[in-house]
Amino acid sequence: MLDRRQFLKLGGATAFATLFGGCDKVQRRLIPFVIPPENYTLGEALWYASGCDQCPAGCGIVVRVSEGRAKKIEGNPLHPVNRGKLCARGQAALQALYHPERFSRPMKRSGPRGSGAYAPVSWEEALSLLMEPLKKIKAEAPSSLLMLTGPMRGHAGLVAGRFMKSFGSPNRVAWDPFGPDAMLSANAAAYGVRDLPEHDLANARYLLSFSGDFLETGISPVHYAREYGRMRGDRETIRGKFVHFGPRLSMTAAAADLFLPCAPGTEGFVALGIAHVMVRDRLTAASSAAGRLADDLGAWSPEEVEKKTGVHAHDIAAAAEEFARNQPGLAIAGTTAATCADGAFHCSAVALLNVLAGNVGKPGGLSFPNRAQAFAKYGPEAGLLSPSPESGYAGTRAALEKMRGGAFRIAFLSGATNPAFTLPPSLKFGEALSKVPFVVAFASFLDETTSLADLVLPVPTALETWGDDLAPVGHAGAITLRQPVVEPFHDTRSMPDILIAAAKELGGEPAKALPWGSFRECIEKAYGGPGGEMEKALQRGGFLGEASSPRSAVRTGGVSLPKAADRPLEGDPKAFPLALHLYPSIALYDGRGANLPWLQEMPDPVSTAVWRNWIEINPKTAAGLGLAEGDGVTVTSPSGKITAHVAFNPGIAPDVAAMPLGQGHTKYGKYANGRGENPISLLPAGETYALQATRVALVKTKLSTALARTGHPEGQWKVKNMM
Amino acid sequence: MKHTWAMAIDLDRCTGCGACVVACNAENNIPTIGETEAGKNRLMHWIRVNRYWEGEFPEAQAVYLPMPCMQCERAPCELVCPVYATYHNEDGLNAMVYNRCIGTRYCANNCPYSVRVFNWYDYKWEKPLDEQLSPDLTVRSRGVMEKCTFCIQRIRRAKETAAEEGREIRDGDVVPACAQTCPPGALLFGDLADPHSEITRKLKDPRRFRLMEHLGTEPRVVYLKRQKGAGR
Ligand code: SF4
Ligand code: SF4
Repeated sequence: MLDRRQFLKLGGATAFATLFGGCDKVQRRLIPFVIPPENYTLGEALWYASGCDQCPAGCGIVVRVSEGRAKKIEGNPLHPVNRGKLCARGQAALQALYHPERFSRPMKRSGPRGSGAYAPVSWEEALSLLMEPLKKIKAEAPSSLLMLTGPMRGHAGLVAGRFMKSFGSPNRVAWDPFGPDAMLSANAAAYGVRDLPEHDLANARYLLSFSGDFLETGISPVHYAREYGRMRGDRETIRGKFVHFGPRLSMTAAAADLFLPCAPGTEGFVALGIAHVMVRDRLTAASSAAGRLADDLGAWSPEEVEKKTGVHAHDIAAAAEEFARNQPGLAIAGTTAATCADGAFHCSAVALLNVLAGNVGKPGGLSFPNRAQAFAKYGPEAGLLSPSPESGYAGTRAALEKMRGGAFRIAFLSGATNPAFTLPPSLKFGEALSKVPFVVAFASFLDETTSLADLVLPVPTALETWGDDLAPVGHAGAITLRQPVVEPFHDTRSMPDILIAAAKELGGEPAKALPWGSFRECIEKAYGGPGGEMEKALQRGGFLGEASSPRSAVRTGGVSLPKAADRPLEGDPKAFPLALHLYPSIALYDGRGANLPWLQEMPDPVSTAVWRNWIEINPKTAAGLGLAEGDGVTVTSPSGKITAHVAFNPGIAPDVAAMPLGQGHTKYGKYANGRGENPISLLPAGETYALQATRVALVKTKLSTALARTGHPEGQWKVKNMM
Repeated sequence: MKHTWAMAIDLDRCTGCGACVVACNAENNIPTIGETEAGKNRLMHWIRVNRYWEGEFPEAQAVYLPMPCMQCERAPCELVCPVYATYHNEDGLNAMVYNRCIGTRYCANNCPYSVRVFNWYDYKWEKPLDEQLSPDLTVRSRGVMEKCTFCIQRIRRAKETAAEEGREIRDGDVVPACAQTCPPGALLFGDLADPHSEITRKLKDPRRFRLMEHLGTEPRVVYLKRQKGAGR
């Protein structure tokens, strides 16, 4: 366990109090007290800086700690990603720390796999259970070790990567259901950079978003929501205008000045229509690119695009004209556009608009900061530490194939991305895993994936660990440092710590590759150790000042017209009349938030539902099917069948049905289980991980549950009466 | 010094994200009540984000309106409390004395904004979730009315700090939990008695309006209308 005295020395005690002007000093209250433990001053709160891990955005946090207990999480005002702001999920991380269902010690399976029956064992026993087979396969067949995690960044990624390499197994896979694969390949094609750009919303005058969810769950929701606020209201004379295209009136769409519904899976064609008008009317900045594209774009006149997308030709022309005349501007493709089967096409078509308008590398436009330089000293290993944002779907599927073939003898599972819950059931994750004789999970909670493990090694939450992080966007080169803000609440060890200990015991190459005594020592070595720079950085929440030089897109001249592959949605439109639109839930994200009561009880911005999932349809569609608000329906796709309650969304296209992801857990504890069914089971197992991939049919069904919503579904009052 | 605490809510910036709701839960020891009770409209949130639908497809719009206690200058809730459990404090805030409340719920009936919430039960924080409870506030028990206080504990703390440092409270010293976290910066808190405060300046905006002004409640929460178009 962490020694409190050392912990203090290393930047704890002074921590954040200095920055906050010691604002808690005056509060004194009567608490009976005999011998105060260390760092436990009566009634005095301290602030510690660390990093959030509730989604991959990587915001900086400060935690108010009073009498040794974390009480409140706030955004770190010094952190460039979120500047003091935090989303609901970041606030709720506190409930993960003090969750009643956390693993408090190692567990050994005591019933059949998946039954969730475990018996506690000591760390000593757990480690010997781990090491014995590990040593054996190291000698016999090292490549039969599989490591399947969520995306790992910073030195945790380095430790994991080096462990696998030195062990002699190439089988390391990271799975992220919202990994922006489509955006990356689009950016490589359009900008010549296979990376995520920074969108300078705050200085933009015009914003076009395509099924964007940048205000709710996208790449960095707090960062972009803050930037959005600045775009709207921080300038004296300019208020950035925001136009949104998409099949559903989402929370992000509701923020737009103009929401123009388009048919599902046609976002990219709308973008091509806008590009057509820009080129036709000579509204482009990049004239050479425009010249080359003129012929190809000829087919995408607004009238043609209207036929395909349902967006009026005059709206397309007006958007093109405004976008071009109000520079600088931005075009952003969101998660739901990127998770179409044809996501790369949609993202490329949207990127084309930025190129044509000449917004690349400009303030108020987009740029590509040089992220790689943060970890440049690791040379070829730098990739292990940098944001590795690809979804890993291909790798995961390949790993599942190999599992079935009996290629793996040990599997390490870790991370919040819960493949047994987030992969389409037709991939049969559990069945494949059953072919692996020994499965070890590094986890804080039992979930659908962890419950398949033979041995569970309990890990600390982000508020109890050392670590570092490099956010995907908004960081300007800043490295976040994590420190335990409270003493670990349970007898846990972090995954990097366990890997370092295992490497030591294996000896040889692994011991050489991971030469530290603990993960904390690894971090200290990397950042200069106690005293000096690192101590100051820990107080501030990391190395936050270093602005990296923006690397503007190098090649935009070679731009070509993205081609749409013809990948229709699964299902015959006659039998399955509605296109299914799945989107990340603002509260539950990919499902990981479902076990936190605060998030379950946060009304959804669009449906206002709590504690249960729903299916959104247009009231007109509902009338045709004889459905009322809250009614139960059976949702059938060619691949699966679930039930849900109906919630009206008057801003969703009449031929679309939308469902949030995140509910439908069966093994994620009492707050999460049985709150509806998982819509992922409606999806086919395609070549790419596509959430917009199928059509569905709805049939009215009687359900024993009810959908709790806040207030009257139509609103107690009309907003006009309030003003 | 006398303070006129007020909140400005810029509807042009609010996205409806709900971060304020969860931040308030954490700051003010607000219980989670579960699905069944939620279905009876008994959520305990001190700030809610109202969502209104307007128009029909394809012109449909969603309008978000965050709604904390309006801290009315002439508060209709205060007049009907038989035991003076809800009263006007020295800062002009509408405050609650929990241990005086006898649970008649008259105040909630008389609140035109429906922001008062009632403890129908002794809500429990399952161990060890109770470790998160803030020591700055009580945990309210069954039969007691509660509502947004403008984070009065933060106001007190700021006053004490200022007094200890022998100075007046500065603009920005008090930031309620909701305003602190709001990602797009839709919420602004401050002192209207200070002619130079940011909120005094912000509320000169012609977009300002107060909810149900015709009732004469004189809310201390002032909204700024959403805008349209590219210019300002
Ligand atoms: S956006 Fe993600 S990283 Fe940032 S506070 Fe929310 S959950 Fe945490
Ligand atoms: S946190 Fe801000 S933007 Fe989000 S709902 Fe509350 S007021 Fe609106």
